[in-house]
Amino acid sequence: MPHAHAADLKIDSAMTLNQVRVGCDVQIRVLSGPGCDRLRDLGFCEELQVRKLAGGRNLICSICGTRMAISRELAEQVIVSPVQ
Amino acid sequence: MSATPDGPSLIALIGNPNAGKTTLFNALTGANQHVGNYAGVTVAVKSGHTYTPHGRKVRVLDLPGCYSLRANSPDEKVALDALHGQLPGEPVPDLIVCVVDSSNLERHLQLVLQVIELGLPCVLALNMIDVAERNGLRLDPVKLSEELGIPVIPMQANAKRGIVELKQALRLPRPIAPVTTWTHLHDDPETGRRLFINQLCELVARRPNAHQQTTSDRLDAVLLHPVYGWLALIGIFFTVFWAIFSFAEIPMHWIEAGQGSFGKWVESLMVEGDFRSLLVDGVIGGAGGVIVFLPQIVLLFLFIGLLESSGYMARAAYLMDGVMAKAGLSGKSFLPLFSSYACAIPGVMAARTIHSSKERLVTIFVAPWMSCSARLPVFFLIIPLLMHENEGSWKQALTLFAIYGLGTATAFIVARILRGRLGEDISPGHFLLELPPYRTPQWGYIFRHVLDRAMSFVKKAGTIILGLSILLWALSTYPKSNSSEPAEALAHSAMGRIGAVIEPVVKPLGFDGRMGTAILTSFAAREVFVSSMAILYRVEEAENEEQTRNQLRDKLSAATWPDGRPIFTPLSLISLLIFFIYALQCLPTSAVVARESGSWKWALGQFLFMTGFAYAASFLVFQAGKLIGF
Repeated sequence: MPHAHAADLKIDSAMTLNQVRVGCDVQIRVLSGPGCDRLRDLGFCEELQVRKLAGGRNLICSICGTRMAISRELAEQVIVSPVQ
Repeated sequence: MSATPDGPSLIALIGNPNAGKTTLFNALTGANQHVGNYAGVTVAVKSGHTYTPHGRKVRVLDLPGCYSLRANSPDEKVALDALHGQLPGEPVPDLIVCVVDSSNLERHLQLVLQVIELGLPCVLALNMIDVAERNGLRLDPVKLSEELGIPVIPMQANAKRGIVELKQALRLPRPIAPVTTWTHLHDDPETGRRLFINQLCELVARRPNAHQQTTSDRLDAVLLHPVYGWLALIGIFFTVFWAIFSFAEIPMHWIEAGQGSFGKWVESLMVEGDFRSLLVDGVIGGAGGVIVFLPQIVLLFLFIGLLESSGYMARAAYLMDGVMAKAGLSGKSFLPLFSSYACAIPGVMAARTIHSSKERLVTIFVAPWMSCSARLPVFFLIIPLLMHENEGSWKQALTLFAIYGLGTATAFIVARILRGRLGEDISPGHFLLELPPYRTPQWGYIFRHVLDRAMSFVKKAGTIILGLSILLWALSTYPKSNSSEPAEALAHSAMGRIGAVIEPVVKPLGFDGRMGTAILTSFAAREVFVSSMAILYRVEEAENEEQTRNQLRDKLSAATWPDGRPIFTPLSLISLLIFFIYALQCLPTSAVVARESGSWKWALGQFLFMTGFAYAASFLVFQAGKLIGF
């Protein structure tokens, strides 16, 4: 499945959703990993903006005005960068 | 396709979880299906009828919510099968109504595009338009319809707005929408869809500010807080239990008073004899003894309905995920297990939403240990016997809380052991849960749901429990002895003889033959225990209601072994409680477990394990207690 190429990313600014500070707005760059189909179904699609609302065992994110709780393992598969 | 020229004959509602499919289904068909503010309330296909504006009858299918057509869990598979016409006895639907939450178009349109790609005629129902408007979202249904190539109907199903328009749209010509619009955007269909949705939402759904602080955000700041969140969770659930105990007392007084005077009235009308005894002791005493617990059951279902409908249940699942993980389960198991506090049957059904098949099996296995409402009558009979007369109701609530805690804790331990033995899933499932916005509860649906449950309880009291009451009365009355001493008459009766046979089995648990017999009858339905005890201990209607209420308890406290020791010591009562916490005494549950787990062996194993466990636990508690000197 073709994803955005690694070269498209600014390596210095890319991080996983787990590494984002609570309260920050970020933009999804790439989804990679076994859970990415499931994440896309739920609306975690490339280029969408996400706000992380809570960290911990499970993360809470606001995406398109909906709050979703996802596990750390899934959040690890969401590569984000700061909103441009 | 079997569509007639003038309209569809079968339509199916599909959409993401919590988009309001069931609310729309109820609005269309006038049905009272249960609606919740929680993903996965509908786990099976429901069917109903509606009429077009021209009076043509149309069948409507309400499908379980799904995020995509990939079918990750059994309930999503059901929805997919329905679309392909693969459900037994169902043809391919003539028209698909895609229900979306219009405040969430970006996410919900994913599924809509996939449905359009199937090549079936579609109509898009833009539901919850009021929420979108309140959020300041500017929607353009006409543009959306042009871009997608399908009719788009803005609506608010819970206020019945847009229903007429939707029915009109059923008659519109239904060309198959062109899918090339997004398939040519990219080689990968997934990416193509995403690009198309992004473009589309730019055009038709302008968001003023994606991240404004809503009331839900402010509530969540407290209710999901690592400290306050837990305090709130414990507070809410303790309040629920306390309220069940204290609020229910008032209507219970009325029922008891009514039942007492009704018994007196019947007694005064008839002459002394077997038939009067059958009516007063068997029918009124037996079935009535169970009906008294109706207020508590109504309250329990009311509170569960409130929690579900307001959106708090998803928060509780989120908070509980960490706790459930200790049992090898996830937050997804929380709703099935919590629903089992009301009744294990909806609980076992709700386990369909769990993606991991092994976690689902384990959840089904332990669900009956979440004390269901059918156990409440038994607990309410026993707990006051353990207490002094003037103890506050909070102490009883605390005991009840402890009973629930014991069942739950054991369930978790067994779940953990079982989960370890079943091994890891082939594809690891991850915790994923939508936290819906808090909503004002839909009182109409909650009340109708509670009424349904109450009616089914009353029906059960009127059929199974009434039948068993009459049978028990007959068994404990015949064959008659010549003795006028009630105790001797009972010993001579069939029931007395059964009791004598059972007594050696239950004596190590601290029970006498009559309790053993009552327990035996309660394997048909737990509540029967109370009426069995009332019949076996020959409780009669007293002069006033207060006496009637306490008579069974008084009789039980006064009961003795032949050597004069009281039967109902605190220790034997605790042993009895333990037995009822653990025993699986519900045939309908076993039937549902067999169906949902797909194997009779699983259901039979569960029954044997739980009943054996109950016996062993009661035995240990009673014998250990005796050794310590209670």
